[in-house]
Amino acid sequence: MSDVKVLQDPKELQEERTSIFHDVYFNNKIPKRVPVSLSLPFEAIAEFGELDIVEAQWNSAIAEETADKLCQTLYSDVNPFSGSLRFPSFYQALKSQSFVMGSNGFFQHPEVVGMLDEEYDYLIEKPYDCLLEKVIPRQYKALDLNDPVNMAISFAKSLLGFTNDFMTSGQLGGKLTEKYGYYAGGLLSGGFTEAPFDFLADQLRSFKGVSMDVRRMPEKVAEACEALYPIVFKKGLPANITRESTVFIPLHMPTFMREKDFAKLWWPSFKKMLDEYASMGVHASIFCEDDWTRYLDYLYELPTDTIMMFEYGDAKKIKEKLGKKHIITGLYPVTMLKTHTKQQCIDKAKEMVDILAPGGKYVFGLDKHPLSIGDVNMENFCAVAEYVRDYAVYSNIGETAGLQFNKEDYKVLPSRRLESKYFKRWDQYKVENPRVSDFGAPKLQGYEEMIFQYLIFLLL
Amino acid sequence: MELKTLSQMIGDLEEDQVLEMLNTFVSSNPSQEDAQKVVNACQEGMGIVGELFEKGEYFVGDLIFAGELLTAAMDVLKLVMDSSGEEKTGTIVLGTAHGDLHDISKNIFKSMAQAAGFEVYDLEIDQSASEFVEKVKEVQLDIVGMSGVLTLAIDAMKDTVEALVEAGLRNEVKVIIRGNPVTKESCEHIGADAFTTNAAEGVKICQGWVKQYVRC
Repeated sequence: MSDVKVLQDPKELQEERTSIFHDVYFNNKIPKRVPVSLSLPFEAIAEFGELDIVEAQWNSAIAEETADKLCQTLYSDVNPFSGSLRFPSFYQALKSQSFVMGSNGFFQHPEVVGMLDEEYDYLIEKPYDCLLEKVIPRQYKALDLNDPVNMAISFAKSLLGFTNDFMTSGQLGGKLTEKYGYYAGGLLSGGFTEAPFDFLADQLRSFKGVSMDVRRMPEKVAEACEALYPIVFKKGLPANITRESTVFIPLHMPTFMREKDFAKLWWPSFKKMLDEYASMGVHASIFCEDDWTRYLDYLYELPTDTIMMFEYGDAKKIKEKLGKKHIITGLYPVTMLKTHTKQQCIDKAKEMVDILAPGGKYVFGLDKHPLSIGDVNMENFCAVAEYVRDYAVYSNIGETAGLQFNKEDYKVLPSRRLESKYFKRWDQYKVENPRVSDFGAPKLQGYEEMIFQYLIFLLL
Repeated sequence: MELKTLSQMIGDLEEDQVLEMLNTFVSSNPSQEDAQKVVNACQEGMGIVGELFEKGEYFVGDLIFAGELLTAAMDVLKLVMDSSGEEKTGTIVLGTAHGDLHDISKNIFKSMAQAAGFEVYDLEIDQSASEFVEKVKEVQLDIVGMSGVLTLAIDAMKDTVEALVEAGLRNEVKVIIRGNPVTKESCEHIGADAFTTNAAEGVKICQGWVKQYVRC
């Protein structure tokens, strides 16, 4: 296991790491070496330190020691402590139906229906109102519209938990990033949202519900995706856009659909979303869950330098089809780390690097996070990470990697604005409160945006 | 009624036409024998769905739709069926493994197994080993089916199989597992009799088992 990193100056390491990631993600250059992007989810890190995972999820600060130990154990160019998206403080305060801790202490998303099929018309007419009035109260039983005082208290408790727990785990992550000189960007560092169809499927209609709707009422599904578009687009948009801004979008439903349904119902609003982000200079980072082999031609059409993490599929075919235009990551089978010998794991890493690294636009990563620490043999995991760090070096550093991203290449027709009595813009607020000082604008609009982000996060 | 057409309509997932055909059939006051033939034709239709899935023309979303269509079809046919005379292919208990709340694949398998004539006891989600064991004790069962999406489900499934062994029930039932993390290796590790990641194939495996019982 590596001790190389701790012997180097963290600032120097961070500069090197930032440079190799930026060369791949934003500069269209061949980096000095293939960046290694490995991290573990919060629960696995708690297990790594033999902490009680339920306790650790309630009090993430206790994970500091174990996260630090992981940083010293596992080589990665990004922080291997990636925090968590699912803390119980905000889900349990709201009696969530859609994010529930299983008896083993792992948060899961059961199949749940938040919107009935007869509510499509309301969703299409007033999407944000429908989410707040119908969907969220169904998925979060403590937000009972018939018990307004308790509802307000539960809402406030959950929002406090949301803010505090993300702050605590964010501070812990930030501390380790500086201590060990990790690249501070990465998959989860920017915006986070879903494709409109997946948003409709996951917590509104459910997997089963949307599968029925695709055949029974496809036109409503298409209209619903259009109606949800401004909401999911806004959800993913980074607050401050720079040339290094990213938005992470895990993709869910396509591999469970027929291509003709995908082409008609799933793809158009997603493609538009990525084009619109690209027109603003925001790079999308997508997780192609399952096997996307039959959709590679579609993926090619996405804006240049879309970061694509694959789970399954033929690496050669993916590289051949997409490698000059897009950035590829993932594909290394996490299961091997448990079931194969160290040498076999290293051989597989060599095979992946030999296929995917030539020409650049590649970041080494696993096909998915190990869920539990028991899913990996740490010795194999560390050996693979260090092997890639040492083996995957380029001789043609600084050369152009492939197609160049230009935000000017992307134009989209304007879509409808988010209009709702539940979301007030400063100009609207000012009409109702003419004596308000303009000094209040950033603060009040900031709170409005924060509440929007929190509410839609509840449905992601 | 043209039974082959009905099977094909189900295979094509033509919901409105299937239900219209069945409603017309039921209103003609058919005999038990004719009703059973129509049930069989519906099951054959599900066979077509399974084949199209295996060929890569249908996907999981289509299987879900097919399951719902078949449930709706059976609800119509129940109006003219004498349930006391129904013959069951076999009995299965289903549940997601301890700790796992993901039940979509279990539900698809359930509807396809019911379509194939199995009586299914559904324990729902996050079921401990003892709950499976209790059900096996309580009901005369042929098959125990467990599913899970999380890798953690592997250990939970193994615990359940071991609990069946301890209770002296392991040889009474066949065990089939399914879900994302399930492979040949994990199936051996768990001590299950079969694994699948494909509901249609899973039903075929179960059918093979109960046929064997009949031969014995």
